[in-house]
Amino acid sequence: MTTIAFKSGVDDAVIDELRAIIGDDDRVLPNTSSRVNRTRVPAPFPVHRWADYMPDVAILPKTAEEVSEVVKLANRLRIPVVPRAGGTGLSDGAVARRGGIQIDCKLMNQIHEIDLVDRTVTVGPGINMLKLNEELRKHGVFYPDDPASYPCSLVGGRIGTGGWSLLGARFGHTRDLVVSMQVVLPTGEIVEIGEGGGRKLRKSSTALNLKQLFTGHQGTLGITTEATLELVPRPEVEFAAFFAYEDYMSAYRTLGDLTKSGLATLAGVVLFDEWKIAYLRRDDEAYIPQPDNVRAVIAVAMYGTRAEVEPASKIVMKLGRHNGGRYLGDEISAGDWASRHDRYATPLHGRDKNGQAVMMSWHCEDAALNYSVLPKVREEWHAIVERYREQYGIFDDWGMFAYTSGPHKPWADYLVEIDIGIWESRLNEENWQGWVNCKREIAEVSLKYGGSITACHGATREGDAHLVPQEMGSAWEVVRRIKTALDPNNIMNPGQQSFDEFYEEGA
Amino acid sequence: MPDDGKLGLDGNGYDPNRDGDLQEQFVEQWRTNAYGCFSSGHKFCREVCPVMQVTRNENHTPTAFHASIVAMEKGLVDVADVADDFVHCTQCGACELRCPNTLFTGDFYRHRTRTVDVVKAMRALMVATGNEREGWKLWNERLAEYHNEPVLGEVPVLQEHVRDWAEGLDIPIGGETILFVDCEAAYYRTSYTRAFAQLLQKAGVEFGLMREQWCCGGPAAEMGYVDLARRHAEHNVADWRAVGAKRIIAPDPHDYIAFTEDYPRYFGDAYDFEIVLGVELIDELVKEGRIQLTKPIERVVTYHDPCRLNKRKGVHKPPRDLLRAIPGLELRDVDHVTQWSYCSGGGAGLPIEKPEITAEISNRRVARAQSLEVDTLVSACPWSERPLTEAGERADEPLEVVDLFELLAESAGIEVGGQTRAPQPEAQA
Repeated sequence: MTTIAFKSGVDDAVIDELRAIIGDDDRVLPNTSSRVNRTRVPAPFPVHRWADYMPDVAILPKTAEEVSEVVKLANRLRIPVVPRAGGTGLSDGAVARRGGIQIDCKLMNQIHEIDLVDRTVTVGPGINMLKLNEELRKHGVFYPDDPASYPCSLVGGRIGTGGWSLLGARFGHTRDLVVSMQVVLPTGEIVEIGEGGGRKLRKSSTALNLKQLFTGHQGTLGITTEATLELVPRPEVEFAAFFAYEDYMSAYRTLGDLTKSGLATLAGVVLFDEWKIAYLRRDDEAYIPQPDNVRAVIAVAMYGTRAEVEPASKIVMKLGRHNGGRYLGDEISAGDWASRHDRYATPLHGRDKNGQAVMMSWHCEDAALNYSVLPKVREEWHAIVERYREQYGIFDDWGMFAYTSGPHKPWADYLVEIDIGIWESRLNEENWQGWVNCKREIAEVSLKYGGSITACHGATREGDAHLVPQEMGSAWEVVRRIKTALDPNNIMNPGQQSFDEFYEEGA
Repeated sequence: MPDDGKLGLDGNGYDPNRDGDLQEQFVEQWRTNAYGCFSSGHKFCREVCPVMQVTRNENHTPTAFHASIVAMEKGLVDVADVADDFVHCTQCGACELRCPNTLFTGDFYRHRTRTVDVVKAMRALMVATGNEREGWKLWNERLAEYHNEPVLGEVPVLQEHVRDWAEGLDIPIGGETILFVDCEAAYYRTSYTRAFAQLLQKAGVEFGLMREQWCCGGPAAEMGYVDLARRHAEHNVADWRAVGAKRIIAPDPHDYIAFTEDYPRYFGDAYDFEIVLGVELIDELVKEGRIQLTKPIERVVTYHDPCRLNKRKGVHKPPRDLLRAIPGLELRDVDHVTQWSYCSGGGAGLPIEKPEITAEISNRRVARAQSLEVDTLVSACPWSERPLTEAGERADEPLEVVDLFELLAESAGIEVGGQTRAPQPEAQA
């Protein structure tokens, strides 16, 4: 009694219905190039099986009503629906796994309201944060959701993936910055989701807190069609400092000292390990023209008023130099913090086993881990990658970093990433399965140490997805009840996070 | 690292005389360049792309252009499938500047992501494989017939009128220094050219006009009509040689691109002309005191960085220096990096095939200018000035669009003359 949505549901009659709903043929795209160009996100991809990832049709809606009508159609005919915003995620949340209708929200990029009194901005899901902040700047406010993909990712995708921000320790991550939203459910109803009460309340105790449920579901519970976001006063001062260490453990202790300092203006503290430093040394333009004895680097960033940040910066300088740290100077500190979105993964730095430069795709495996386990996980992750690198010859270890992850509470939680270069043009099914196994082993280490498979990218990739039930443990049954209640026909982004098993089991 | 993304002789990435499928040759030529983008996948280029900002269609992004080449290699698409996508580009070059590969590691690996050339090459492939666009086809047929761009739509752009703009200026034919006048500036916005020529005369610069000036061929190359573009280049170079020219002054940024990028590709080492960019020359003349800007211009202006100056050639300082040298003028500037994401939409044939997108790009550029509460938008490229002027006139509160040379000439006390728009057909006849 499977109710899994099936792939072959989009025929000419469906396209006609979609055209009738949208009323503009330029926004209903069943042509090949529209499908081919919506299959990929910036993460390694089984290029040899590209067609498996193609939706049957993409649509570009402009209103929640259009989204609602399309979802109702899909639900009636049991056709998969895949929401896509920027398609810049590092997992496969916005990629069709069973064909179907891709709802691409990029045209829903309007700013509906800027409320400088109750401090919110209401936008469509297709707006980019950099573009939003260009508009907000003149009002002396900003929206501080700052992922590595800040110049290109879109608000809708940030909500769908439960995005993580480089400034999260100070300002919170996406889920902390969305005040409320309008969502189209898998059955097509348009609902207002918030804390309770009106759209602009940050805290309520009425009924259930639904907002977090609709943040980070990877497009499996609905499609955000409007979001009311936090407005934050533009910081008066930005401060960044980079420190070098001769060994990882000295930097690790400093990381703990800094994050437990109690400085409220800390926006991020990040520890780069020696593999990452070696990667960045691969060309002479990188931020680290540093001697070989530099084996770890810590970067600190603070934002706030001058009255807060200036005295706090003196404490940071003292803590950073403790444990043998050496300040890398104002130029590197300011310059590399400014290039934080662009710097840390470039395909040209790929190296094969013989050290030959080859263009590689970038995969970053992200886990959520506590401070106490960082050194152990680091050792085990590098060992796994080294083993696969030796065996397959198409992988390359681009190093690790640990980054403060607790929103407003930087002391104990870390986003930990290992960046792996993959020689994607050499992928075949055997290599791809090798890669999936590598990912699975990495994720298993995270779980062994009480971590989560993913802090922000989403557990939607092969290798991760089937570990989701294990990670959720006793709560998996709760997930099943919620998912099957809201999406009885499994039309909303099927094939993700092992949710299909709810349906295969005959829910 | 091997880079097989080198341009072929004609800049189209393949040789029609070689055996084998043209599309395969194209893919072979561009796959490494394409893979540099595909494997990066950052898409940082996307929100700076003027077309993408309007259509919000992922097919129209630079990353999609490169991915299409990888998809071609995998047999998922062919040139017919992607032909319409590749129309959606003004060849402004913003994407190349914003590419992390170019920004951070390009010098070290000698790898610059090339998207403008890819778009040109794909359009050439479209022409070579019978996937032409109707508007461009007609436009280039007229170019082949009249040898000047049909800038006036149905009004013929005849050779006998190519120097009408210079009436009364007493400019000789020939000489060592030739002023090349863009078609748009010769037939449409003649005030632009009259202002420029008179600034040169005021400074005592000696120059002449061509015996028979044809279109530079740049727009034809941008639309994929490689052979036609080359024929025009050959004619112009022959005309320059016939009068003993050594130095070509190109006030129009589009011509400057053709003369410094396309022509050297066509002619190799034999191409030994000095190409002078108009705005840089005028800047020198003002700084040397050979042009005195004495008459105050009481305007509050902002400056539009033309894509082919700012993004393609890195020229953004001389126009600003010139504006700041005009007495009485207040410049409310937007820095040139922010302007990577600005455009008029007037380039690379977009207004011919997709006029509604060009109009919307210009509408948005004018709206940005208006948010600065200025009374004038100054540009330095006649190709941008037509769509921007139209957008300025459409706006709820109209905004005047003026060319930099026109303002400079006024401040230098020159009665410019000419027109800022198309003449009425009867006036031309």
